Amino acid sequence: MRTRSDPRRLRAAIGSCLALLASAWAVPATAFTVFACEPEWAALSRVLLPEAKVHVATHAGQDPHHIEARPALIAQMRQADLVVCTGAGLESGWLPVLQQRAGNSKANDVFFASDYVIMIDPQPAAIGTPWAGDVHAEGNPHVHIDPRNLLLVAQALAERLQTDLPAQKVAIGQRLRAFEGPWQQRITDWGQLAAPLRGQRVAAQHASFGYLWHWLGMSMVADMEPKPGMAPTPRHLQRLLDGLRPQPPIAVVVASYQDPRPGRWLSSQLGGKVPMVVLPATVSEQADAKALTDWMDGLIRSLLPLAKR
Amino acid sequence: MRHAPPTLTSDCSLKVAIACTLLFSAAVQAQMKPTATPAHTVNDWQFGVVLDAGATSRALELGARGQGLQLGHSDLSAAGSVGNFFKAKLTGVAETHEGKLETSLEEAWLETTSLPMGLQLRAGRFASQVGYLNAQHPHADDFVERPLLYRALLGGHWSDDGLRLNWTAPTSQYLMFGVEAFRGKRLVAEASNAPGTLGAVALVAKMGDDFNRANSWQLGLSHIRNRRQAAVEDHDNEEEHNEHNGAEFSGRNTSMLDATWKWSPDGNNRAEQLKLGFETARTTSLNLGPDYGNRHQSHTLSAVWRFNPSWEVGARTDWLKVSLPDEDHPTGKIREHALMVAYKPSHMQTVRLQYTTQRDVTGFEAPAKNAVQLQYVMAFGAHGAHPF
Repeated sequence: MRTRSDPRRLRAAIGSCLALLASAWAVPATAFTVFACEPEWAALSRVLLPEAKVHVATHAGQDPHHIEARPALIAQMRQADLVVCTGAGLESGWLPVLQQRAGNSKANDVFFASDYVIMIDPQPAAIGTPWAGDVHAEGNPHVHIDPRNLLLVAQALAERLQTDLPAQKVAIGQRLRAFEGPWQQRITDWGQLAAPLRGQRVAAQHASFGYLWHWLGMSMVADMEPKPGMAPTPRHLQRLLDGLRPQPPIAVVVASYQDPRPGRWLSSQLGGKVPMVVLPATVSEQADAKALTDWMDGLIRSLLPLAKR
Repeated sequence: MRHAPPTLTSDCSLKVAIACTLLFSAAVQAQMKPTATPAHTVNDWQFGVVLDAGATSRALELGARGQGLQLGHSDLSAAGSVGNFFKAKLTGVAETHEGKLETSLEEAWLETTSLPMGLQLRAGRFASQVGYLNAQHPHADDFVERPLLYRALLGGHWSDDGLRLNWTAPTSQYLMFGVEAFRGKRLVAEASNAPGTLGAVALVAKMGDDFNRANSWQLGLSHIRNRRQAAVEDHDNEEEHNEHNGAEFSGRNTSMLDATWKWSPDGNNRAEQLKLGFETARTTSLNLGPDYGNRHQSHTLSAVWRFNPSWEVGARTDWLKVSLPDEDHPTGKIREHALMVAYKPSHMQTVRLQYTTQRDVTGFEAPAKNAVQLQYVMAFGAHGAHPF
């Protein structure tokens, strides 16, 4: 194939390029578009702005630390009017790549949920070394598994949406209040319901449910990961097993996106008296306010029967 | 330094062009958002160090790593925002080359963040976005050595001084067009400093999408128009020595196609992923003379399977055919097969063992029949992102 430019071919190429451009421009102006890094923020966005078009980058079956900047996600971010993520380093492996590839100036000013809550386990002195694992200096980024945090984030997100959409200010305020009241009540109800779980001990993988333990007064006595973000190793599991035998926890808890095998092994080695419980790390991608409630409710109800007196 | 004056003028004009472009883009961005508040005014600069150490039983033909213990592509980088409208990145690289430790400035660029309509402008020194792998740092590759295609036709990792304009379409499927203009010195084995020539222009189109939750794909088309003639230059020239990592085989036109397909159960790529990649490139208009061939060609096909969060295995097969200015061997050929296994306890560490064999070799002096390579990569500080 010679690459001498043939005027006819060149004209055809330019023509098709222009046609493509025209078709791209012809995409009609759509509704306010939200790009949510995780389903829980998508759910809050829907609560506050039901008419918004919401793209969700991840689902409960995916480890949010390890997402690839897939072409589909770049295209979604290109269309976004607002990007809502967790922050605190949770998305640091992929969000910057998406922003860089999408070239969307509206995606620069990301709404980070973790900016509006008090994080647990901050490690200000942490320096990322190859042996330290995946340390988040700001603190545990899985902030959504505490309903009090969800409330704080909803309030901050409402304020942000009101700034971006001044015409909707009143409506967004009303929707926030409609969410706040019942949610506040549920926080009280859940607190009473989960009273038997106070002081109970669990083994788990990663700090995925750190805020749940913190909220309900439970303690995580063993982490199946030798270092944050490192997959469980047989040696580490054996050491945990030896430590747990004298005083077994009530359950081995695994998140929906984690490999269940290490947890299953630990549970079986503890004599079958310690069940493995797989908890959904978040809501579904289409979730609304009710789904958020059901999810939180489900987390407590799966642990409740295991509480020891 | 016989060639100093022309180099100076071409450098000056490039600098002027870069400065003008940056001023212009700053003005446009400022106009687009007159009351723009910067995203996060806090200092967002991040620093990172990557060390890549390797041991090689036998150096590969056209390989980047010599025999014995070597420092691979190790870098020190800093990236962050500059003012309200730019992002910048600086990367210094150290690696062993022919037994000596060499350092170079691989990246030093500014890129706009607030241009309208999905446009982005980048200026400075950076890696071209041609092909699937070129923009990626070699220590992030799935194999110890880059495919033959890159080693033969692009100098392994083509990073150069120039300008880039990208446009991402507002479509539901990912669609990006980009044009880059470079000095092009690193695209040829020995650069001439003919004044007034724009070195190289690269046109790139990328597209991709999710097929469903478990499957995603990307396609890329690239074309490089290389105006810099591969004229023989004074070998004592200091400049030529610095530009050692230029392409071994060059020509005026290079066309590339890359296709990537990834599968992971339910999209949870941490747990398991299969990645298939194919790339092909053809370089034409070599200017070797009427008695010789006029085409270089190379293909690469790879499969990498992450079967556990910490373990990966992969296989790659490469094919290269080049035209040589040699009456006895007018055609050079290499077939290369590689198998690797990698252990990644976290994404800050990788230990990789690779076996490579080069077969059906003609026109090359030192093919490696059997080579075993061991590589250890570790990262400190800001961890590298995960591009598709």
